[in-house]
Amino acid sequence: MSTDEIRARIKKSIATITSLSPEEITDTASYKDDLQLDSLTILEITVDAEYQFQVKIPDEVLSEIRTVDDTVRVVQQHLELAVA
Amino acid sequence: MKQRRVVVTGIGVVTPIGTGRERFWTNLLEGRSGIGPVRSFDTSAYSVHRGAEVHGFAVENYLSNLDAAHLGRASQFAIAAARLALADANVEIASLDLERAGVSMGTTSGEPREVERFDDLFIGKKLERVGPEFLGLYPSHVIAAHIARELRFAGINIMIPTACAAGNYAIAHAFDVLRAGRADLMLAGGSDSFSRITYTGFAQLGAIAPEVCQPFDRYRKGMIPGEGAGVIVLEPLSSAKHRGARIYAEIAGYGLSCDAHHMTAAHPNGEGAVRAMKQALEQSGTNPEEVSYISAHGTGTATNDRLETIAVKQLFAGSAYRIPMSSIKSMLGHTMGAASAIEAAACALAVYHDRIPPTINLKERDPECDLDYVPNCAREHEVRVAMNNAYAFGGNNASLILRKCESLN
Amino acid sequence: MRNRVVITGAGVISSLGDSSSSLQLSLCSGRRAVKPVELFSTAGLGCPLGGEIPSFDAKKYLGRRNLRPLDRTSRLVASAAQMALDDSGWSESMRKQQEVGLVLGTMFCSVHTISEFDRRAVEVGPGYASPMDFSNTVINAAAGQTAILHNLRGINSTISTGITSGLQAIAYATEVIRSGRARAILAGGADEMCFESFYGFDRAGLLCRSDESAGDFPIPFDKRRNGFALGEGAALLMIEDAHSARERGARVLAEITGHGCAYDCSHGEDEESAVNAIALSVRRALNDAFTGPHEIDCLSASANGSYAGDRHEAKGIRTGLNGQTRKLPVTAIKSMLGETLGASGPMQTIAVLETMRDGVLPGINGLEQVEDDLAFDMISSDNSEIDLEEALINSVGFDGHCCSLVLAKVQ
Repeated sequence: MSTDEIRARIKKSIATITSLSPEEITDTASYKDDLQLDSLTILEITVDAEYQFQVKIPDEVLSEIRTVDDTVRVVQQHLELAVA
Repeated sequence: MKQRRVVVTGIGVVTPIGTGRERFWTNLLEGRSGIGPVRSFDTSAYSVHRGAEVHGFAVENYLSNLDAAHLGRASQFAIAAARLALADANVEIASLDLERAGVSMGTTSGEPREVERFDDLFIGKKLERVGPEFLGLYPSHVIAAHIARELRFAGINIMIPTACAAGNYAIAHAFDVLRAGRADLMLAGGSDSFSRITYTGFAQLGAIAPEVCQPFDRYRKGMIPGEGAGVIVLEPLSSAKHRGARIYAEIAGYGLSCDAHHMTAAHPNGEGAVRAMKQALEQSGTNPEEVSYISAHGTGTATNDRLETIAVKQLFAGSAYRIPMSSIKSMLGHTMGAASAIEAAACALAVYHDRIPPTINLKERDPECDLDYVPNCAREHEVRVAMNNAYAFGGNNASLILRKCESLN
Repeated sequence: MRNRVVITGAGVISSLGDSSSSLQLSLCSGRRAVKPVELFSTAGLGCPLGGEIPSFDAKKYLGRRNLRPLDRTSRLVASAAQMALDDSGWSESMRKQQEVGLVLGTMFCSVHTISEFDRRAVEVGPGYASPMDFSNTVINAAAGQTAILHNLRGINSTISTGITSGLQAIAYATEVIRSGRARAILAGGADEMCFESFYGFDRAGLLCRSDESAGDFPIPFDKRRNGFALGEGAALLMIEDAHSARERGARVLAEITGHGCAYDCSHGEDEESAVNAIALSVRRALNDAFTGPHEIDCLSASANGSYAGDRHEAKGIRTGLNGQTRKLPVTAIKSMLGETLGASGPMQTIAVLETMRDGVLPGINGLEQVEDDLAFDMISSDNSEIDLEEALINSVGFDGHCCSLVLAKVQ
């Protein structure tokens, strides 16, 4: 799956979870500071990404996920791991 | 009209560290832990595996009228605790005006195992196996209803499912009912059964500790889900005296508040918790300095324990450092809707015996949690006034005040 | 010295209208919400009928807020709350200054959410369960979500007593106001239509059958009745201490003068026990209201088409009112709304408020063959005009709970 596809799907799910418009969900916007999302919502975004892509992101990595870019990167890494 | 005073005359508990008041209190003071590997379902797909379950519980010992097959687990615990409480209070059911005997209970999940069974059969395409019994087993109000049916109590019957603060809410309501003269005796408390739904949820929130529950410890890693029930017998002081009942403590008052902030996270300033405690003190006519002991909510999560400490310091100011505050969740795990009821029972016993249960597993001091948490060993301490705090999902906060029953001037 | 308690506003989301007046209009036009269920499949079930709210869209009432964290039940409650707050004039700025409470009665809250959360965990693994859905698996979730959305920082409680949950919540809130512990509380109830609970009722044999020959008769007090049809919705009343309400210039709809409750240990299986419990509940409410059977101008019955339940209620009311029921006008709005569980008592309350306002008591829709030896004479499918000063609102559950409320018009 291409990075773009992953990004598109993640942004779509964030839009559903947060009711934010696609324009607001930029690649580098910080979930917490820019988008004003609380920790439960950020967790939901991560779990939803895990569910959609059928990957498991270890707890230690969760705190590193702060932006859309981070989510895309981590998902991609774990998809590659799964295939390997 | 004179406001009736309300006292605790009986205690019944089903807990991971023992069933029955004596066993429970002894184990509490000895710092025994009820936490172990989860046995009621397979946790291999989880990253955590420990819980505080009740083992070896047989409801048949407590049933005279109902059939165990028609009772979910939380209802079974609740009935057992109710019977134990009545026996402890030396109440002769035959002497009661049953229309003025009531039940007020709290819970977090009701009977989740019944939904789990529904779901398993649904997934396995065998839903037809769920029959008429489902409606009689599942909805949470059955817990209070089953107690009433077992005991034939025909008075007030109410379920207050305010999650992890439910026990305090239920006791508060029973207190109000008795004060208003709408009942002569109330069984009040809470019950919850261990469930994979609850376990899954807390695991997903990253809230479950891998090994132990260590409230206020610097390296605390979270809570440990548990199960159980606590029921206390409440009656007017006048009737308790009249029948020569042993009085553990008086319920002096309570405070309730709502954070209205977040479903699973408390207000960052502990604001709601402070309001509940303040209201409890004001309504019961208690000065902060008079509080001898605080039974903390103390779940063992990084956030709760820190915020709870902030709230207590805010309300009690200088006195906060002098008031011992322990969390028995360190031993029982978090028994959900039963927690604050079991903790209220522990407070009543603390008041009666002038002893305080410890917070166990407290090894490393957390600079942000620097109050006296009664680390590891129970303590002899005159307990004139105890405060029982509980905080729940949905921002429900409840504080209950118990005190020695004496003539008031 | 107890405070007097008044109702200063109402909000309702029902299958027959999303305002007090539209609900009353529907009830008085004999509109029936009970029809084949569309929210989920009823294939394989005995009863295909329900009174669901078609195309419920919470955005209509709650605007542009993010509603994803709220499930259907929470959305119903939050929407009804918005309307009750608007109706009673409790603005956002007022709520910043003063604490408004919320007491919600619900039988299930979100059993659908609980079930979906669990099923996903079982099917794909607990690591994929939704953390956001988890916060809606507690029975006080809807009350919590609504408090957050509307900044309701006062006393917040959830009451679960089966079908009587909503009326019981109003009684609970009444006591809180009387004691001076709070000045303003939104009190009422809600339950949603979902497969999980529907299935439970159907398998328990409580719903009206779809058997072609027997027909579907979820009709209160009708000889042909064969069970009830489920409904759904949310209804909340703004309940205040009379003095504060007057001081802030609130429009007062009615006064809650009394309440009572009791429990039938036979849970409907023994007629004498059931009748006694209902009678006790009624008597307690009348005594609490310092009133008597002669003063009651109408009865809003809980009857929903249950074969034994309706009969027990009629007998219980007759006993509770010392036999003074022949000339008592009776309505049973579940004939049109279906059994809305936690929302039922509060919906009955809102309908009574409307009758106090416009003098029209809705007839019992579909009633053609009145049960023999029924205690009531003034009961029919036609509306009646009444001058309603004092009403008795009754709520009875199949599981034994009974709750009664007395409402009085404020002069």
